[in-house]
Amino acid sequence: MPRIYIDGRPYEADARQTVMEVAAANGIAIPAFCWHPKLSVSGSCRLCAVQVEGRSWVEISCNMPVTEGLRVLTDSDVVRAYRKSILQLTTLNHPVDCGICDKAGECLLQDYHYEHNGSASISRDPKVHATKFHPLSPRIVLDNERCVLCSRCVRFTHEVSKSKSLGMVQRGDTTLIRASEDGAFGTDAYSDNVVDICPVGALLSRDFLYKSRVWYLQPTRSVCPGCERGCAVNLWHRKPEWKLNSLDPAKNRAIERITPLDNPAVNGPWICNKGRDMARILERPRALQALVAGAPATLEAAIESARDLLAAARRPLALVSSWASDEELAAFSASLGARVRVLVKRDRAPEAGEVIEDGLLIRPDKNPNTAGARALFPDLWDGTSALPDADLVLAWGEGFDIARAPQGARTLVLAAWADPAHARADVLIPISLQTERHGHYTNFQGVKSAFEPCFARPDPVADAETLFARLAAAREAAA
Amino acid sequence: MAGKHLLMTFEVTPTSHTLAEYRARGGYQALEKAITTMTSQQVTAEVTASGIQGRGGANFSAGRKWSVVNLKDEQVHYLCANADEGEPGTFKDRWILENAPHLLLESMLIAAYALQVRHAFIYIRGEFDLPYRRISGALEEAYGAGYFGKPLFGTDFACDLIVYRGAGSYVCGEASGLLTSLEGKRGFPRNRPPRLTVRGLYQRPTVVNNVETLSNLAGIIRDGAAAFKGAGTAKSPGTRLVSVSGHINRPGVYEVEPGRPFRELIYDTCGGIPGGRKLKAVIPGGISTKVVTGEEVERIRLDNEDLAGVGSGMGSGGMVVIAEGTCMVRLLQVLLRFYHHESCGQCTPCREGMGWMHRIIDRIVDGHGVPEDLERLKQISAWNDGNTICGMGDAAGYATTGILAKFGDEFDYYIANKRSRNGGNLECPAST
Repeated sequence: MPRIYIDGRPYEADARQTVMEVAAANGIAIPAFCWHPKLSVSGSCRLCAVQVEGRSWVEISCNMPVTEGLRVLTDSDVVRAYRKSILQLTTLNHPVDCGICDKAGECLLQDYHYEHNGSASISRDPKVHATKFHPLSPRIVLDNERCVLCSRCVRFTHEVSKSKSLGMVQRGDTTLIRASEDGAFGTDAYSDNVVDICPVGALLSRDFLYKSRVWYLQPTRSVCPGCERGCAVNLWHRKPEWKLNSLDPAKNRAIERITPLDNPAVNGPWICNKGRDMARILERPRALQALVAGAPATLEAAIESARDLLAAARRPLALVSSWASDEELAAFSASLGARVRVLVKRDRAPEAGEVIEDGLLIRPDKNPNTAGARALFPDLWDGTSALPDADLVLAWGEGFDIARAPQGARTLVLAAWADPAHARADVLIPISLQTERHGHYTNFQGVKSAFEPCFARPDPVADAETLFARLAAAREAAA
Repeated sequence: MAGKHLLMTFEVTPTSHTLAEYRARGGYQALEKAITTMTSQQVTAEVTASGIQGRGGANFSAGRKWSVVNLKDEQVHYLCANADEGEPGTFKDRWILENAPHLLLESMLIAAYALQVRHAFIYIRGEFDLPYRRISGALEEAYGAGYFGKPLFGTDFACDLIVYRGAGSYVCGEASGLLTSLEGKRGFPRNRPPRLTVRGLYQRPTVVNNVETLSNLAGIIRDGAAAFKGAGTAKSPGTRLVSVSGHINRPGVYEVEPGRPFRELIYDTCGGIPGGRKLKAVIPGGISTKVVTGEEVERIRLDNEDLAGVGSGMGSGGMVVIAEGTCMVRLLQVLLRFYHHESCGQCTPCREGMGWMHRIIDRIVDGHGVPEDLERLKQISAWNDGNTICGMGDAAGYATTGILAKFGDEFDYYIANKRSRNGGNLECPAST
């Protein structure tokens, strides 16, 4: 274990590490565009240069092997002057159009300019112009003028997503990032990660384009419900203090974008494109009206009817949701588990054209908590075979067609999203969404991940976690 | 030219490049000597003892480069001849490829034997047509004669050789960019460490040597290191091929022995300047070496030591002769246009700096220069110096600062008067 000194302080290092890795592991921020902890070393931006004590010049830290007793300075006069010069060169042909750039507020070039350069361009010559709004894929547009050619996106498609779909064409200061002609970037299931790793506003998500300034948004940590991997994500929504009152109040409850939250145990710093699009699933029209025999009723009345149904049932069958949190499932188990036959239901099946499984993140089961549900209730309903005989079916979540209930069985449905078929259920109780409550999902590897609420629960909606206790308490009271 | 000759030892005829004539001149005997009477280590020791330096421009000792390759590391080793002769003004390797292809092939076999290489490569620049046909033809002859692909002289040493054509990029002449290109990737140079002799082609130890460097090996083995050191100076042993072009009466490739007067090459061997004009300057070793003034040429010897004394070097041996009356501002414009065009775009200082310098010099030539521009050119050169992945950024800086240091007054005149003091001439001005 060599020991190295960064700015005079000793740090233990692994002999295979670079100075940059040691610095990053110890919370020392060395500025860099091209270096990324999960990608190979490119050494092209030159911004991460540091000075070895006793030398008059600088060398890049991302490619500097650790040697015993190595002493480097990250903030000497020479290093500071050099960073200034590199930032002069980086911004030489950069349009500096932060005012209309989606990356503004979370842009490395902006941050580094303020921190390390701060002066206007010393060039008298016109900037090199390049393509704007070049569609790399239906999901991603590229602004070549903003691009600093760090090659992070190119290396990502070669080393992580393996689609090898991005590369460079031409050379010098007219070099352009381009997608391969076979359209492989459009079918790369992880392509949107390049938007996150782009240090500047060159790669832009069409979905988020001009949707919001990032400083009006706040992230809430959550778990992607798109498959049993359960990737850690940030759900970005409007800050309460920037609430829109008249312009477009719907935006106050909208998920503006979803980005990965680095969790080395589950997903690392990546998520798939489906995870980015989860708002389309989460923001479907809600079930907000309790129904009894198809007619609108108050939530209280619906719960009343539900407990009557449960009390009367001799052979009740429950299909529990694989989108339910561990806490909700535990509440169900504690309240009703002893009395009801329980099968775990897969709420969602893969959609047409969806990637079923790959070697990186995507898993075949498109529900977040099948593992958590089966830990309590081992029996799984495959969704196609006939249900066991029952006189009441409690269907929790999606993925159950009421017409498939056994002959003569009553139906009690707990649903978050609206469905016309709900009118055929004997009782419908609307329940809350993942974005409205705390909870945990257990992924297929057994890793428990927490999610937190972004929005308040709408009034006419019940929380499943407390609902079951009320349904069970009613049964005891009735007995 | 006066002085010893080690490479240009025969008369060039329409058939002098063939295997038959090469063997008649004693060809492939050095190979037999190396393989049948010497071990790999002895060959390397002989090359190291000869003191031969790389002829591609960096003057790095070939023996020291080879000594990094560990013959007992159980890895595949590669050897590659750098025939991507792209340094402007340099066309000496072309002479070898066209007229002595078997000399290169024999020498490469010797190097392959010393480094225990099973597969060797020649990366030849795409624009070379006749050289490509000559080396390919020679390789076919050599395969036919059993020098390649089969165990040689009763040993188990065998070597295959592949000639690979580049697609026209200056940066692919840089050894690591060359290997990246040879691997089929975009020709980006690589960061050091690791050195190519540790991880080169396909991540295996690889020796990349210039064509001229390699071509000297047959002679070194045949005649011994002492004979090689008998030519040239103590620090620059052997002879150098130089390609002379520009404002000169007899341009061409010449073999020179380091240590002889520089003016002898210009005035005696090459016949002086057309129209008897005065010598203004010489770019002595490809445009990436600093310019030498005519006055300096008069008093120095042609070797690395004397050229280093005037801030330059032998470089790649591409000599550009510049006559009195040439506009150095427009000359620098041509050079910077080249560097801008050839910057690969990988690392920031060169990618942005080359274009910036090119735009500045264009503006000066257009008559819109300001005095601060010269400071800026020097500043961008300094930002590039030693701070890029390969040496191209440094090279452009050397070319720029070299001309600015010795002919700065011409730039001051141009900026102040918005016109050239020499009428913007690049062609050799007509005799007056």
